[in-house]
Amino acid sequence: MAATLEKSIAFIFAIIVGGTTTFQLVKDWSSRGLDNQVTKLLLGLMAFGCILVILAAVGVLGGG
Amino acid sequence: MAVSAFNSSHEAVAARYEAVDEVYRETRDMRLLGFVLFLVSDVVLFSAFIFAYLYLRNSVPNWPPITNTGKQLPRFDVAFAAINSCVLFGSGATMHFAMESWKHLNRSAFNLWMIATIVLGIAFLCGQGYEYQHVAITWSGSTMGATFFTLTGMHGFHVFVGVIYLIVLFLQANNGVYTGSKYFGLTAGTLYWHFVDVIWVALFYLFYLM
Repeated sequence: MAATLEKSIAFIFAIIVGGTTTFQLVKDWSSRGLDNQVTKLLLGLMAFGCILVILAAVGVLGGG
Repeated sequence: MAVSAFNSSHEAVAARYEAVDEVYRETRDMRLLGFVLFLVSDVVLFSAFIFAYLYLRNSVPNWPPITNTGKQLPRFDVAFAAINSCVLFGSGATMHFAMESWKHLNRSAFNLWMIATIVLGIAFLCGQGYEYQHVAITWSGSTMGATFFTLTGMHGFHVFVGVIYLIVLFLQANNGVYTGSKYFGLTAGTLYWHFVDVIWVALFYLFYLM
């Protein structure tokens, strides 16, 4: 029961954070310079992390 | 109309970024390259430990392994780690907003997002401390425990240093150290914070999902 609640919270947070990160990534796509390129790479990987959290929350990864 | 406003805002940030003297521009670019190389060296450090973990993991028939006393070790708590991961990823998003606020000369929003980032960073550390207290393994009890505490502890130390770094940047920014065109310290802080987020993506997958 507690695990289900925790996964539900994680699922909602991951969608919010992942959506925000993806939006920022798209918004900053045209920015140039080494710092912006590295930031875009790291934001992309963070969005990927949110996808992992979502998959864990719905039981696809992490043994359900 | 909205796209036009966005572009002009983007261009204004880029124009301010370039509106510095030649000496500052050259040293900024060199420091930036040096900082990125530092992050790459940190990737090498984590990679070494991660490959050691994968080697140990593949050297036993089952994972989680069975101890010498015949006890089957449990899997880590995915649900709690997922929430803690969201806290850290959320802090990455707030850090990005703080940096963007600074670039767009919105100091009050910058302060708000920086405080949110620091609070979320501390919350992540508290979550990790809670997990350490409740996890069913010890550092010396098994290879699983040794690799888990070493890698997550090393990451936690990076987060701890990052929180201190962010507090220093916050104080510096409010004491006039940075301007709308000279803010390399904030850029480095943002990159560092995103970096610790991304390292956690790998650790979250390796320890909780794999």
